[in-house]
Amino acid sequence: MIHGTPIQTVVKEIEQVTPRVKRFTLAPADGRELPRFSGGAHILTRVGVGEQVWQRPYSLCGDPHIRAVYQIAIRLQKNSLGGSVFWHHQVRKGQKVTISWPQNHFPMSHRARHHVFFAAGIGITPFLPMMADAEERGETFELHYAAPTREQCAFYDEIQSRYKGCCRFYFSQEGKRMRPDVMKDQSVGTHVYFCGPAAMVEAYRKAAISYGYPQKSIHYELFIPPAVEDAKPFEVELRHSGKTLQVPAEKTLLEVLLNSGVEVPFACRMGRCGTCAVGVAAGEVKHRDVILSDEEKKTKIVSCVSRSTSTKLVLDF
Amino acid sequence: MNDALSRFPFPFKKGTYDYYANNSIPLQPPYSIEVTPAYQHEIHLKRRLLNKAHSRCYQSLSHTEEAQWEVVELVLHHLTAAYPKEFLLHKEKDNWTFINQLTGEEERFVFGDAASLPFEPLDFVGRHVQEDLILMMQRDAELFLEAGQLCFPGNWSLVFKLGMTFHEIHEPIPGFFERGAADKIRTFLLHMEAGRPWMRNNWSLTAGNFLDTFPETYHEWGIHRHRVTVDNAGSLIHLRVEVQKLFRLPGTQGILFTIHTHMLPLKQLVRQREWLHRFTQVVTQLPDEIADYKGITPYKQPLFAYLHKQMEGEKEEKNEIRQ
Repeated sequence: MIHGTPIQTVVKEIEQVTPRVKRFTLAPADGRELPRFSGGAHILTRVGVGEQVWQRPYSLCGDPHIRAVYQIAIRLQKNSLGGSVFWHHQVRKGQKVTISWPQNHFPMSHRARHHVFFAAGIGITPFLPMMADAEERGETFELHYAAPTREQCAFYDEIQSRYKGCCRFYFSQEGKRMRPDVMKDQSVGTHVYFCGPAAMVEAYRKAAISYGYPQKSIHYELFIPPAVEDAKPFEVELRHSGKTLQVPAEKTLLEVLLNSGVEVPFACRMGRCGTCAVGVAAGEVKHRDVILSDEEKKTKIVSCVSRSTSTKLVLDF
Repeated sequence: MNDALSRFPFPFKKGTYDYYANNSIPLQPPYSIEVTPAYQHEIHLKRRLLNKAHSRCYQSLSHTEEAQWEVVELVLHHLTAAYPKEFLLHKEKDNWTFINQLTGEEERFVFGDAASLPFEPLDFVGRHVQEDLILMMQRDAELFLEAGQLCFPGNWSLVFKLGMTFHEIHEPIPGFFERGAADKIRTFLLHMEAGRPWMRNNWSLTAGNFLDTFPETYHEWGIHRHRVTVDNAGSLIHLRVEVQKLFRLPGTQGILFTIHTHMLPLKQLVRQREWLHRFTQVVTQLPDEIADYKGITPYKQPLFAYLHKQMEGEKEEKNEIRQ
């Protein structure tokens, strides 16, 4: 009845939505209901063969009320690192896919009086369940959606038939360009949401600020890049005792400190709680935690996940 | 170790305690609830308190209904998965039947339809578990306490805290902001993900065996803080440990805190010599402001004298054996 972490699914259906976009329908391997999700949520997917594994986050683009399956839409990227190529060319019906529970770093604001969505290309995906949520709650919204042509505009027919009157399309090859100044003419309490290439998100974010939108009314999707396992050995010096320790590639700094009798408090061992942060006196750190502020990153290291990129790290210990 | 002692979540791994660390660990197995031999007694007490002073024990804001249903779904699924003999759940689309074999109750309702339940969803499901249930909602990167069923509070008021942000709720904790803990723990909570629950312990001392230490009834239980003597400390003072489990709700992005409160009288604690040592070290090193905050100051002297006596007694016992 409750899913563990991660969730095992199988590909139930694959549809060619546009020449470069495919929609994948994933069903739980054990047939149990999937966890609920809300508009803007994504899942981390894991597919591959043998040693080659692709871990990618994709927004859920299906209806939030459906608990039997999840849907994701993937565009075959020109400069793909392999993830979208694998999904497009290797993934078949019946194939196993491991997924995370839905996470939402791009939720709709509860304070918004009106929602304005800006999608460029495959950036449309999080807005599909958002529009469904808004419609269900009786909240007003408008969608501005840019694509090169109508043929390359994923889910055009679905959106047109379901949300007619709330959406505007901009096909650049027909000479129509989506512009940020749509945000100028909105009433107070409007929240704006962007999803698309990084440059587009940045341009719209800056424009929104220049029009006077408060930071809390501006929302955009930022995926945290997948963790790269490039651990290298390094040396640690404990400043107060003068002790030197070696951190091999396969051990964490925390493990080495504990093994040598240094009593570092710790709890989660996942870079999330921050209990095992220790002071850094010298050396470069590659931070992999999600808890330290930018200011703290200058002087601390979360020893259970982060490592040094210099050959020697001096700790304030 | 007897049964009550072996299941007691003794919170001190060593003789020191960091009051400003996060201390959260991944929860395994990932269940929000635990049924102990005290189930019948505590469910009875909970319901009596709810009937007697409902608004003191239950508060909610109207827009939390969707999240409350998510809590119902989560808690009932955990009960039936963890204790399949004691709890049963039958679902036919939205028509749910929940059977609690321990209370002999059968509850039928339409999932998502609050009118089909005798109480609000959170208030309903809380009556079947020993835990207090607190719901925090995340809105624009801020956390607000927006609903809760709280029958066993460690001297805090749900009525007072309802609607407050995480920082506002924790305002009274000495040093919590200055030491950076407030920001750190809030960031941790904001980063919590569905499917990855956490747990942490919180501890305090209570004079008298009271689970329901409401500030609103301080006159009934607070008086015992001034009645502690070296002779009655062992039976009067209890180590109170809250096992807190934290879940991100995947649909509404709310955070559910379940709080299971365990009490152990010191006379039982001291039988575990290692526990006595660590507890004595922690309590005697307690900073004054924390002792004040936890309400220990009025009986600090008799408590220390009692612990001293226990430690001395242990030494004497050892000497006797040597002789």
